[in-house]
Amino acid sequence: MTAVLEVRDIAKSFGGVHAVQGVSFDVHEGEILGIIGPNGSGKSTLFNCILGQLAPTRGEVRIDGRNVSGKRPSELNRLGISRTFQLLQVFPQLTVRENLILAGQEHKGSRLGRLFGARDAGLGAAADRMIDFFRLGHLAHENAGGLSYGQQKLLDAAMAFMAGPRLVLLDEPAGGVNLTMLASLKERLQAINRETRATFVVIEHNMEFVMALCSRIIVLAEGRIIAEGEPAAVRRDPKVIEAYLGH
Amino acid sequence: MADFLQLLISGLATGAIYALAAIGFTLLWQTSQTINFAQGEFVMLPAFFALVAMTWLGLPFAVAVVIAIVCSMLVLGLMFKVVVVQPLIKQGVLPLVISTIALSVLLKEGVKDVYSAEAQPFPTLFPDVTLSVAGVAVSLAQVGVLVVAFGTIVALQWFLGATRIGRQMQATAQNPTVARILGVPVERMILYTFLINAVLAAMASILISPIYLAKFSNGESLGLAAFVAAIVGGFNQVRGAIVGGLLIGVVDNLAAAYVSTSYRQAVPLILLVAIILFRPQGLLGRREERAV
Repeated sequence: MTAVLEVRDIAKSFGGVHAVQGVSFDVHEGEILGIIGPNGSGKSTLFNCILGQLAPTRGEVRIDGRNVSGKRPSELNRLGISRTFQLLQVFPQLTVRENLILAGQEHKGSRLGRLFGARDAGLGAAADRMIDFFRLGHLAHENAGGLSYGQQKLLDAAMAFMAGPRLVLLDEPAGGVNLTMLASLKERLQAINRETRATFVVIEHNMEFVMALCSRIIVLAEGRIIAEGEPAAVRRDPKVIEAYLGH
Repeated sequence: MADFLQLLISGLATGAIYALAAIGFTLLWQTSQTINFAQGEFVMLPAFFALVAMTWLGLPFAVAVVIAIVCSMLVLGLMFKVVVVQPLIKQGVLPLVISTIALSVLLKEGVKDVYSAEAQPFPTLFPDVTLSVAGVAVSLAQVGVLVVAFGTIVALQWFLGATRIGRQMQATAQNPTVARILGVPVERMILYTFLINAVLAAMASILISPIYLAKFSNGESLGLAAFVAAIVGGFNQVRGAIVGGLLIGVVDNLAAAYVSTSYRQAVPLILLVAIILFRPQGLLGRREERAV
């Protein structure tokens, strides 16, 4: 199987704090990989290094075999890597549909086209499909800021898929989402994974959610990988139990 | 009643000009956190660009108007962004605010020294005709000001609301970080707002100078009116700035007629105090949100 994402020996220090200390892993096409770990284990730092939002102290990130270390988030976005955000990052005063169109890379094209061209930039149909897929139809023309937190999380996830991404990094998609919405989010993410064969990496605190969603899990503690494998095996791993329950 | 209607129309005409300046003020805040205390001088200056073109270069008024708009875009749009805002915004909002205050003094004193300290007559775009509609005397100039100002506002609303660039400008105002990740050219969008502000200031200048005459000190009252209009309407909404501008124009006019001419300038300030006390987000504004 080809690796879509290869992370090689990534490390990141902030002054004397070694947040990530030499992490390596591969993610294969169509896989849903979960990265879990207690607070402060380096998950978000690792994510930000992969996404170009932080420059790693050392190490390399490859997408489809191509070294993308040092590329800016917008360049990675163009290469087909999208992300969702731990803290919600929708455009509150644009409608759900407009948020999706923006996420679909509508900036492509000429300046004249952006002034006089179709308002939906040819992405209206794709946005409508995504709205249906994430069951946001009744909210399509509502301002995103008026949606409930869980609905905004769904929108955030839908936005990540608008540009037909190769790789999607989901940063705590379940955080703050109620149980009903959580089930719906998990089911929709699995469905879109089956349909598009897009590859996912999910960072999450919610163990149940990760165990149910992911096919493989990496456990981080103190900036290192302490366990890796199928959800059931990881759950039983004494090192994982120790890391989560404290020393 | 006829008096009241006349006052209302002339108030709306002045208010529409205030609205142009207030919209620009709001736009700069939304996309680049620039509070421009030189906004009044930005409305004062373009009239002098036109006067220079007419008196020093002997160009006709129509050409002078175009030159005034282009010079405004270059000086009050591009140069203002590149020379003043870009280096200073990194230091935070306050140093930039103080710099715009300094800029307002520089522009005011500059015009006084370079052109003239005297108020200059300024040609009007509209013929000096007074129409009588159902017993109400309406000057064609006032109607013209209203039409041009509203035409500008409608064009701007179309641009922001119905084009893709407009949507990208809104995205830049609402969430620059994500807009940048999604590939929206955020810096260019910010530059567009500066250019739009310059055009709005130039339009306001050309519309108001025939009424107040072109004078170096005009910016003081215009800047205050634009600032009060933006706050009253809601600092984070373009349509708030429109409502605020119209309201200040009308209230100012009615206060002069029915309260006292000596207190007319105090009335918008009283309105400002009342709004800050009872509805700090402004009439149409929202708390802690930004949009264009």
